[in-house]
Amino acid sequence: MVNDGDDKVEGLLSPKFRSVAAMAGWDEEALLMASLVVEDTPDRLPKQKKRSDLLHFKTPPTNSRRKRRAQKRNPASITATVLDLDEEDTAKQESEKKEAESTSIEKLDKKGDEALEEQGCSVVTSSTKKIEPKSIEKADIKVAEASEERGCSVSSSSSSAAAFPSIDRLREELSCAICLEICFEPSTTPCGHSFCKKCLRSAADKCGKKCPKCRQLISNGRSCTVNTVLWNTIQLLFPEEVETRKAAADLSSREAKRQSPVRDVATHSNITSSRTTRVLLLNSPESGPSSQERRNSRAMRRQSARASVMPRRNRDISTRRELPSQDGDAALALRMQREEFMESFRTRSSADEQYRSSLALARANLRAMASRAINIRVRGGRGS
Amino acid sequence: MYSGAPSGGIAIGGGGGGRGRGGGRTWPSTTSVSTSGKRIQKEMTELSSEAPPDCAAGPKGDNLYHWVATLFGPPGTPYKGGIFFLDITFPFDYPFKPPKVVFKTRIYHCNVDPSGNVSLDILTENWSPALTISKVLLALRSMFTNPETYKPVVPGIAHLYLGDKAKHDEIAAQWTLRFAR
Repeated sequence: MVNDGDDKVEGLLSPKFRSVAAMAGWDEEALLMASLVVEDTPDRLPKQKKRSDLLHFKTPPTNSRRKRRAQKRNPASITATVLDLDEEDTAKQESEKKEAESTSIEKLDKKGDEALEEQGCSVVTSSTKKIEPKSIEKADIKVAEASEERGCSVSSSSSSAAAFPSIDRLREELSCAICLEICFEPSTTPCGHSFCKKCLRSAADKCGKKCPKCRQLISNGRSCTVNTVLWNTIQLLFPEEVETRKAAADLSSREAKRQSPVRDVATHSNITSSRTTRVLLLNSPESGPSSQERRNSRAMRRQSARASVMPRRNRDISTRRELPSQDGDAALALRMQREEFMESFRTRSSADEQYRSSLALARANLRAMASRAINIRVRGGRGS
Repeated sequence: MYSGAPSGGIAIGGGGGGRGRGGGRTWPSTTSVSTSGKRIQKEMTELSSEAPPDCAAGPKGDNLYHWVATLFGPPGTPYKGGIFFLDITFPFDYPFKPPKVVFKTRIYHCNVDPSGNVSLDILTENWSPALTISKVLLALRSMFTNPETYKPVVPGIAHLYLGDKAKHDEIAAQWTLRFAR
């Protein structure tokens, strides 16, 4: 009843977690943030059943702004410090202290104090108290139990922090057996082995529908889904590797697009583009680091413009491709070249004020020189 | 016959060159190049850091797809004391197709035919992309100790192994002494 509205948002969260969150009065944002964080809450099924009566209490939104801030910050602090467990501990302690301050004002009983070990639960005690004084006792006991257990789980996790597997071990464990790199968009087989989605798919294509690790049969559908938990974990643990692989994937896809049906024309356009670059380089009047920088940025802009133009052009070409005459192709190439040239000039002149002014200056200089030359000639003509 | 086993230094130097050249060539498919090349590169660094016992492997020259491997005959077998050289050729869609392994040193073994071709199930129909060269080398090593006599390529040797193991071992030891030292 409490969760009905939130079901859509928290589809990914376990009902346990949802109930705890509802009790804690976390808002949707905090939940979403938390959903990005961890799926490592230990299984406590019997506890949940016991606590189910708590679900019937309508939990009001937390009234203290300070508390809410603390709650919101908490998941964030966890995200930031998945590996740095010492830091996490200190952060937790700090927030606990804050929590202690705020709750001591509300005069919690002894059990509530016990519940302070986990701030989420302590909030529950304070909020349930206001609703139904009769069942407080029971609720408090349960919450205290829960929090103790939580405390246990926290302490156990921090004790396991001492034996936290090294990053190399993790890397080994989370790498794909096919490409031997960190799993990119991991997909898990029915037999429980995970590989990159792409690797698994090509393995199924080329080596038969068997798990590469244990040779069990795998069905088609499963090999296309990404194991989100694993993928999120990998993204949290190895952000750099994931980024580089993402970039590589982007590049290769763009490359593939570029090398699609019209190879010759594509290379031709490459040549023309390089030529335009050279021309621009010649055109640029000043040298030095600043101009270098500007040139780079300009090149990037041009590249992006070209990328946006590319698909349309490809389509053009592929439709044009049907024409038997080569003249059409040549004309098209010429037009493309001209277009590109115009484009590069347009983008630059529209954005680059300084360059434009320098260009204008150069033009003015030229004009002045020309007029001077003419004057001299005219004067010379008069003289002779 | 190869005069020397590829040491770690040679392997790494050769691999670097191989990668550089691999990028410039035109293979049938661009995607498979990068994946196979990367994967072979990875395996090479892994092998150089922790090779399986009595094994060594690395690129032959500057071609990443052509390796040489050495196996030392494990003690307790008639191949003890021998050094066996193998050629390993990676296909371009490597992890998805098995590498080709050929004995360059003559060996008296029921699973190795006279021209050096190995009949090993994981190198043919039971290949899996999750297998690596180090695992293949381990399999070859275990082939020394336990010949697969039910699917031999040289049935005569298998018969002898099953019928008169002492005689088989004697011949194998002789061959090892003659060819593998």
